[in-house]
Amino acid sequence: MANQSFAKSVMKKTTLGVIIGVLLVVIAQQTHFPPVFQIMFFLYAMLGALVFILLDAPAMKRLEGLKALGALLVFYLLLSGLYIAGASILPQFDPEDEKGKIEKVLKLRRAQTELGKADELIARAKELDERAKAISKQLSSLGADAKVEVAATTSAGGAASGDIVALGKDQWELQECYNCHKLYGQGGKKRGPEMDNIGNLMTVDQLKEKILYPKSWKAEGFDKDYDKGKMPDKYKDLMFPQEIDALVAFLASLKDESVKTPKPIKMN
Amino acid sequence: MKTLNRSLWIVLALGVSGVATAFGQVPDAPPVDFPYAGNRTAVWVVAQLHILFAAFILGAPIFVVVAEWLGYKNNDPKYDRLAKEVIKVTVILYSMTALTGGLFIFVLLGTYPDFSTWLIKHFFLVFAVIYPLLFILETIILYTYFYSWDSMKGAKKGRHIALGILLNIVGTVTLFVIDGPTSFMNTPAKAAGDLSLVEFIQTASLWDKMANFSWMPLNLHRLVGNVTFGGFIAGLIAAYMFMGSKTDEERAYYDWMGFVGNMIGVGALMLLPFMGYLLAYELCDYDASICPYMMADQLSMFFEMQGAMIGLIFLASNYYIWLSLKRIQGVEQVRISGFVAVVVLLMPAIMGYTWKMFPPPEWQSLIVLGILVVLPVVLSKVPGLKNFTVSAFTMIKIGFLMIVVADAIWMTPHGFVPTQGLATEEVELPSWAGELALMPAKNAAAFTLVFLTVVNYLLYNRAIKRGTIMWGKIDFASQFVLIFLAFSVIWTMGLMGAVRSLTRKYYHVYNLVPDFTPEAFTPTLAYSAWWITGVTIVFYAVVSFAILVTLKAGSPKPATSLASSVPVEAK
Repeated sequence: MANQSFAKSVMKKTTLGVIIGVLLVVIAQQTHFPPVFQIMFFLYAMLGALVFILLDAPAMKRLEGLKALGALLVFYLLLSGLYIAGASILPQFDPEDEKGKIEKVLKLRRAQTELGKADELIARAKELDERAKAISKQLSSLGADAKVEVAATTSAGGAASGDIVALGKDQWELQECYNCHKLYGQGGKKRGPEMDNIGNLMTVDQLKEKILYPKSWKAEGFDKDYDKGKMPDKYKDLMFPQEIDALVAFLASLKDESVKTPKPIKMN
Repeated sequence: MKTLNRSLWIVLALGVSGVATAFGQVPDAPPVDFPYAGNRTAVWVVAQLHILFAAFILGAPIFVVVAEWLGYKNNDPKYDRLAKEVIKVTVILYSMTALTGGLFIFVLLGTYPDFSTWLIKHFFLVFAVIYPLLFILETIILYTYFYSWDSMKGAKKGRHIALGILLNIVGTVTLFVIDGPTSFMNTPAKAAGDLSLVEFIQTASLWDKMANFSWMPLNLHRLVGNVTFGGFIAGLIAAYMFMGSKTDEERAYYDWMGFVGNMIGVGALMLLPFMGYLLAYELCDYDASICPYMMADQLSMFFEMQGAMIGLIFLASNYYIWLSLKRIQGVEQVRISGFVAVVVLLMPAIMGYTWKMFPPPEWQSLIVLGILVVLPVVLSKVPGLKNFTVSAFTMIKIGFLMIVVADAIWMTPHGFVPTQGLATEEVELPSWAGELALMPAKNAAAFTLVFLTVVNYLLYNRAIKRGTIMWGKIDFASQFVLIFLAFSVIWTMGLMGAVRSLTRKYYHVYNLVPDFTPEAFTPTLAYSAWWITGVTIVFYAVVSFAILVTLKAGSPKPATSLASSVPVEAK
C-alpha cells in the first residue's frame, strides 16, 4: 500500500517537475537564454522534483552484514562516478593553449637562470652534433671533393625583430589584460576600462607610467575606494623592458574613437 | 595500537633522516621522473592526502574536547563515550598524518629538489626548529590526553579537559605556523619602496614572509574547515557503527552520535562560505588579476563544480534534519511564523539587489540583512499577525524549494566556457541577466542557504522541546546521508585545495619563483576530478579501516552502565 502511494507520488512529482522544467525552458527561450542555459534550468526543475520525491519517500529497510557492505560499495562507486562525470561534462580548458603561452612568458626568464643557460648549451650542442653528422654523411656519400652546402640556420628567436605592435598584442594576451579590460568588444569590462581609444587619451610615456606604477593614473568612473589601485603593481617586476615597450606601442596604436574609453586622470 | 604507532614513527624518522642525509651529500641532484602520474600530480596527490589527515587530527580534537566538556558539565556519559571513540580514531590517523607528511617530503625533494631547497632556506627556522618542536609537543600531549582518559576521571576530569584544550592550542599554533610557507607561495610579501619583489624577499624577515596577505584568511578558513571536517567524520563513524549495531541501545547511541556530528559539521559549514570569501577577497586584494583567473578564466569551471558540491552538501545536511524531525513524536504540532517563509522566499531577490547597490566592504547591506532576519520575529509578536503560522513540515518544504533556487543561482555561470576568451553569445547569459553571474547574486544565494539551515535547526529545537525523540528509530537512509556528507566534504576539500594551488599559475611562488617544468600548466577539471576522487577513496578507505579496527573490532562491548545512560526515548 505504502509502495503504491509512493509510486503515485513519484509519478506526480516527476510530472510536475517536467511541466515546470518545460515552462522554464519556454520562458528562457523567450528571454533569449542560450540552449545550454535552457537545459540547465530544466535540470534544476528535475533536481527540485527529485528532492521532493525524497522528502516523501518511505523509510528505508535496515541493511545488515554483506548486504550493507555491498550497498556501501555501490554507493561509493555511484558517488565517484557522479562526481567524475559531473566534472567531465563541464567545458574543459585546453592545457595546450596554456602551454604555448607559458613557454612565451617564461622564455626570457628561463634564459636568465643557470638551468636555462645549461639547457640552451645542451640544445646548441645537440644542434651542432646533428649538423656534423649530416655533413659527414654527405661527405661519405658524395666523396671528399664534393661541395657541401650547409643551409643557413635562423634562430627561432629571430622573430623578435618583427612588428613591435604585433609583439605588444602578444603581450596583451600573455599578461591576460583581457580579463579586466575590454578590447575589440571582447574581454572583461567591470574591473577595468575599455581600451579601444586609449591611444588618443594617453601618450606613450603616460601609458608606460601607468603600467609600471598603476596608482599613478585612474580611469574616470572607477572612483569607489575599492576600485582605486586595483590594477596589479607587478608588471615592473614581471615584464622585461622590451616587453613593456611592445605593450605600450600596441596600446598607443588603439585609436577607435567610436568606443568610449573613460578619461584617464592623473593621481598625485 | 601503541606498538603500531611506535613502529610507524621509527620507520618515518629513519626514512626522513636517511633521505635528508643522502640529499645533502649529492649536490645538484637531478629531479626524479615520477612514472605515469608525473611529478606535479605526484606531489599534489601526496600533499592532498597529508592535508586530509592533518585536517582531521586538528579538527577532531576540537570536537572531542567540546564533547568531553559537555559530558562533564551535564554529567552525561554518552558525550564522554563519543569523545573517547573519536579520539581513538584520531590517534590512529595521527600516525597516518606523520606518515603521509614524511612521504610528502620525500616526493617533494625528489621531484622539485631546487625549489624545495629554496623554500627550506627561506623558512629554515620554521621547517627545522619550530614545526618539528610543535609536532613533537602535540604528539606528547595527544598521547598523554588519550592514555590518561580513564585515569583522569571524577575530580581530575577538569584537568583532563584542560589538557585537551592545550592540545587544541598547540594544534592550532602548528596549523598557523605551517600555513606561513603555504600562504607565502600564494601571496609572497609585497615589495617595499623601490625594491623589486626578488630583492625584497632576499632581505625580508621571517615574519614578513609568514604574515603575508593570505596567511590569516587561510588560517581561519582551514580552522573552520577542520571543525566542519571533524564533525562530518564523526558522523561517518556514527553511520558505520549504526549500520553494524546489533542492539537497539547501540543504534540509539550511534543515531545520537550521528546527529551531534552532523550538527557540529553543519554549524561550522555555515561559516565556511564566508571564510572562503575572505580568503578569495585577500587573494584578489593582493593581485586583482587572480580574481578573474579564478572566476572567469581557467579555474571558472572548478568553481562551477564547487557550487554544485556546496549545493549538494547543503541539500543533504538539511535532508538529514528532515529525517531527524520525522522520528520525533509530536512534531506535527510545531509551527513557525509565516513571515519566516515570506522572508525565505524573498531573500535571494532582496539580498541580491542590496549587495548590488552596496557591495562589500560597504556596510549598508548588513543592515538590510539584519532587518530581514529580525523582521519575522518582530511581526510574529504583533497582535493580529501572531496567528499567521505554518507547520514545521511546510516550512521545511518551502526551505527545500529555496535551497534548490539558491543552488541554481550559485551555479549559474556567466558563460559555459572554460575561459572568457572563448565566450560567445551561444554560451553566455543574455546581457539583461548578467547580474545572475556576479558576486551580489552569489552572496545572496550563500546567505539564503545559511539562513534556511538555521531556520531548520530552530524548528528542530522547537520540535524536541514539544515532542519525544525516538533515538535509534531514524530512517536507515539517514546513514547514507551522513556517509554522503563526509564523502562530499572530502571531495570538495580536494577540489578547493587544487584551486588554491592552481591560483599560483605557472609559479611555485606566485610572481617570484617560476615553474619551468613542462607540467606548469593548469590541468583540466576532468583530469583533476579523477585524482581528487582517487585521493578521496584512499583517504576514505584508511579512515574506514581505522574505524573498524579501533571501534568495531578492537573494543569490548560497552558496559551496561553506559548503555543505561542512553534512553531509547529521550528528549
